Amino acid sequence: MLDRIALHQTRLHTPGLGLDSKGVALGAKGLVLLPSIDRLVAFLAVYTRERSIEDLMPSLSMRAVRSKLGTREFTLEIAAESSDRMDRVAETARLVNGFTFTGTSRHFVQYRDAGAPFGYDAPELLSIDAGLLLYHDRFSQTYDVERTIELRSLLLRLMPHLDPATRQAAGLRFIVAEPGLGPALVQYLARSRVDGDVGVAEWPPQSAFDDSPVRRWILRIPELPERMRGLVQGTPGLSTFLPVGPGVAVEAGYRHPIELRACPVFDAAGLVLLRGRGDEAWSMARLPPMGALSAFARVELRTTGSDTAVATALGPAEAVRVPLKLVPRAVARRHVTATWVAPAQVPLLRRLAYALPRSTIADASVAMTARGAFLRSRAGIEAVPLGTFFVELYPGLYIPAGHEVAPAVAPEVLARALDVPAGRVMFLGPDARGVVVLDSAFVPLEAALLGAPPWEEIIAEQIDSRLDEALVDLKVTSIGLLPMRGVEPPPP
Amino acid sequence: MAADSALAAVARELFEGVMAPLVLGGALRPRHAIGARAALALTQAKASGAIEAGLFDRVRAGRVRRARRLLPLDVVAAPTDGEWALSASLNDVLQAASPTFQGPLRRSMAARILELAIATIDRIEPPATVGEALSRHTWFAALPDLTRTDSSVTWWAGSRVFRGEPPPARLQAWPGVRRVSVVATEVPLLDLTPLAVDRERLALALTLLLDRSPLTALATCTRGEPPFAWSDATLALVARGSGRTLALRALERLAPAAVDAALGRATRSLLEHRRDVAGPALAVLSDRVLAIAIGHTRAAQASSAPADAVFANAVGAAVALRRLEAGEPGWADDERKRIWHALKPAASSDAGRGAAALLQEPA
Repeated sequence: MLDRIALHQTRLHTPGLGLDSKGVALGAKGLVLLPSIDRLVAFLAVYTRERSIEDLMPSLSMRAVRSKLGTREFTLEIAAESSDRMDRVAETARLVNGFTFTGTSRHFVQYRDAGAPFGYDAPELLSIDAGLLLYHDRFSQTYDVERTIELRSLLLRLMPHLDPATRQAAGLRFIVAEPGLGPALVQYLARSRVDGDVGVAEWPPQSAFDDSPVRRWILRIPELPERMRGLVQGTPGLSTFLPVGPGVAVEAGYRHPIELRACPVFDAAGLVLLRGRGDEAWSMARLPPMGALSAFARVELRTTGSDTAVATALGPAEAVRVPLKLVPRAVARRHVTATWVAPAQVPLLRRLAYALPRSTIADASVAMTARGAFLRSRAGIEAVPLGTFFVELYPGLYIPAGHEVAPAVAPEVLARALDVPAGRVMFLGPDARGVVVLDSAFVPLEAALLGAPPWEEIIAEQIDSRLDEALVDLKVTSIGLLPMRGVEPPPP
Repeated sequence: MAADSALAAVARELFEGVMAPLVLGGALRPRHAIGARAALALTQAKASGAIEAGLFDRVRAGRVRRARRLLPLDVVAAPTDGEWALSASLNDVLQAASPTFQGPLRRSMAARILELAIATIDRIEPPATVGEALSRHTWFAALPDLTRTDSSVTWWAGSRVFRGEPPPARLQAWPGVRRVSVVATEVPLLDLTPLAVDRERLALALTLLLDRSPLTALATCTRGEPPFAWSDATLALVARGSGRTLALRALERLAPAAVDAALGRATRSLLEHRRDVAGPALAVLSDRVLAIAIGHTRAAQASSAPADAVFANAVGAAVALRRLEAGEPGWADDERKRIWHALKPAASSDAGRGAAALLQEPA
């Protein structure tokens, strides 16, 4: 019988049992007693479904134990680092009909439950020479250790369950091909332009009668096309495996009972392929060297003709250039963003400036040239009813509105052919002749209207000065019959 | 007496053919070469009776109009002896540039006339007062703009070029039938072709002429040829406050960026070769920078300023800051502070540091 540990109780009878900071009786180890191997597997399956057993691995040990009555049971021992960890283990054990104990060496008492929040103490210890003495409020039992069970070995021996849903799962998969099928499969995948790697692995002969190792092709396919999945699944000699954790994969169509991703017992550098139907797992300590599938594509050598055909004459391609034309087009012009005002209309433009709306003046820029004024406005220039309207065919390239280029080449091709230097804007007239204006010559129309520098005031000054001063025109006059007559040097 | 009457005739022809067109515009017709002796002997007293009074008054009004651009002036004096001599020298320079001298026996005559004109100009003193400089400017302000109109006439059967004279009407008759084309080109003085004299000597003569009218030289500093350079006469003019004021007013009528470039180039050359006399030039630059800083004049657009213009601004800013730091009177404290903040970036720029180093180098 066990005593319930009371609050603030400090003295315990069970050797190796102490109280943690919460007052819960806790030994150095925790132990789960499970009645059968399938309960042990169930415990692992339930526990790994929620969390990894990576933190348990250093102290985890599983044993098959035998009682005095001859019943075989299984124990799972872990380091009882805290009551939190033990609580999780106890809850899982309770789910699979297991009992949870805590202790340090041989004597393990029942871990706390709802009836004894601070745990239990065994006031009377059994003095029997046994490997394991377990004290429960319903029984006290002694066990001898029969054998130790390795987790990796247990996982490898567990037969995966049937799960057809994984056959069509997407993502990375390994395909193992028997020697006779490997090259054909590789050619098929390479021809179908499926990305992947391929290698060859060897296993020892299956029996003494075999004199050569068993060689299989290993293909790693990041994404097998859906149309091929049925083929590789249904072809005898091909086995498909889906990765379920680092270094381990399970055959497609099967699911391992334990979440292997939570069991870091497999080397990530190697590969363990768990097969269904009770077949033994294929294990590779290291992945074989793998090459790209494309490297295995079939190559064929040309058998006729010489190695190379050498050109006998080199020269430019025959020109097929045709002159550029701008032809009127039927559709309505849209997005007119520039206008070319002839010099004769510039005074009219000045008078018109008084009537222009604020938005047009703010958006427009102007360049004054000897060929007239060029106005541009991203928002549209229709508000200035002067000059020839242009649309921007390509950045920095304008053609007359209502025209299109013939031949109908792409705007970028036209721009490349015209080879307009950077920082310049080209206006193609209706006769396909271009006028290039420096981009920097465009100043805001606002500034041009108001400020002196760009053109208004400078021109006005020049006009003023010309008006003030008549031009002096040197005329050629007669030098006379005796040009040097009367021309004398200065007096000394 | 006969000599005086001859001189009066020369003065009349010179006034009507050269001096009046220089002021009023129109056709400038140089007379027969005058020579150095006669040029230096011309005076107003000898010419006064020979010149038509109406023309003289129109020229005087034109000179007043020209002077009023810089100064509220109502009256200008009659031509001084120096102005008569300079005009006579200009007449000879223009005559030497006549294409008529383009011949094997006449070429040396043109060179002789030009050399005598240069010698005459060399004898003429620079203006002694600011008023005299302004007076000469009223005569010669249009000198750098002097051009000759050359006309090229082509017709169906040939072509001809008429230099400094209009093509005859007969050659332009029936323009449609004969497919006549007339192209008139204004040719600056130093670009005239053909030229019987050495072009460099012609440029020297023009430089000397402009040097004898320093206000004209400064007021046209943005001209192409001959380029502006500081001379003793221009430095003497801007060394005086009133002269500098007139020069700054004249410069204000030109494009700021071009003025900065011209003055920067000339001042850089002056600092490199004659730094001991560069004070007045630096005063002009600093006055320009100060005028811009206090908003009295407009600044050049910085984005397109050439290196010489940047140099001019940097030197001007550096000198202006020195003037402020030296406690130059006439500035209120807040104005002094505002100007200091406005000029500091230019003075501390790379160009400003280069200018400061140039100013601190030993002469």
